[in-house]
Amino acid sequence: MTNQLLETIILMTVVTYGARVLPFLLFKGKNVHGFARDFIELVPIALLAALVIPELVTPSGSIVIIHNPYLWAGVLTFIFARFVPNLFLGIIFGMAVFWGLDKLLL
Amino acid sequence: MSNETSLEVSKGFTYGLRQSLTIVIGYAPVAVTFGILATQFGLTNWEAGLMSFFVYAGASQFIAIEMLHQGASVWMIGLTTLIVNIRHVLMSLSVVPFFSERTLSWSLGLAQGLTDETFVLNTRVLKDVVGEENRRRVMLGINLGAFSSWFVFTILGGLIGKWLPIQFSGFQFALLALFIILTTMSLSENNYLTYLLAAILAIVFKLLIPGKIYLILSVALAAGIGAWWRKKKLSQTINQPKEDNRNV
Repeated sequence: MTNQLLETIILMTVVTYGARVLPFLLFKGKNVHGFARDFIELVPIALLAALVIPELVTPSGSIVIIHNPYLWAGVLTFIFARFVPNLFLGIIFGMAVFWGLDKLLL
Repeated sequence: MSNETSLEVSKGFTYGLRQSLTIVIGYAPVAVTFGILATQFGLTNWEAGLMSFFVYAGASQFIAIEMLHQGASVWMIGLTTLIVNIRHVLMSLSVVPFFSERTLSWSLGLAQGLTDETFVLNTRVLKDVVGEENRRRVMLGINLGAFSSWFVFTILGGLIGKWLPIQFSGFQFALLALFIILTTMSLSENNYLTYLLAAILAIVFKLLIPGKIYLILSVALAAGIGAWWRKKKLSQTINQPKEDNRNV
């Protein structure tokens, strides 16, 4: 195993376990409200946007619309998952469509 | 079932383990998928297993292998993991009142198995279990069942991944597809504006700033503006009761 991967796993473990265990160690039973709670709740959806959309729109560093298998496979996977909310089937669909478009558009 | 006669007294570890089966069914395909993708993205089977064993947080594991693949730094991945998993604080906080007499070792142990899914199941199950001793054992059963399946099925996925053809270009898209599906499952009236804002900011920052910093910047800014907007909407709602849409 590379050092980079080992360090990654250790750091990920520390922050994840930390978030799980700190309330057990520090609190008797309190709750977070207001801005902090809304912020924490909105982080996952914002991260999904930041991870996916730039990869779809700018796969090679600049914005590409027409000859871009990432973008169109992404749009089709989104529509598919709206109707078939199944993780495994959705991934299979996405990979197959991307593969097809990759051959077609380039 | 013999232990149904004294229902409340006998709820313990095995009861929790049986309850965890619903989670196991949900985790198995996701863990197998993680194992397959991790090995496709260059990790060995045991490295994938190690990550599942220690990190044990689905979404952030997928994000980590994607970021490793894109060449992000260790600190960047750590910071991203932190902002993804900080929500565990909320779940942990709301489970803690079930265990007011807990010892240090129970605290350390029960916290380990807290995920979105075990949190939901535990809160549902624990409120019907009488006695803190019993509640601890039930939660341990639920947590251990879910955790072991996550680990075992990751290894299984890794084994499958090693036998799949590497040349298939579709794998480049697998993680993006996964994230898109997660998006469709979590998008709602309450968060789609934050989603759109994060998407636009991420594209702009990615084009302007070299490296991976655009991820953290756009997420923090979008979630911050979204939370601020919710608060503003909420205070407006209190003043004008007709406008009750918290659509950020």
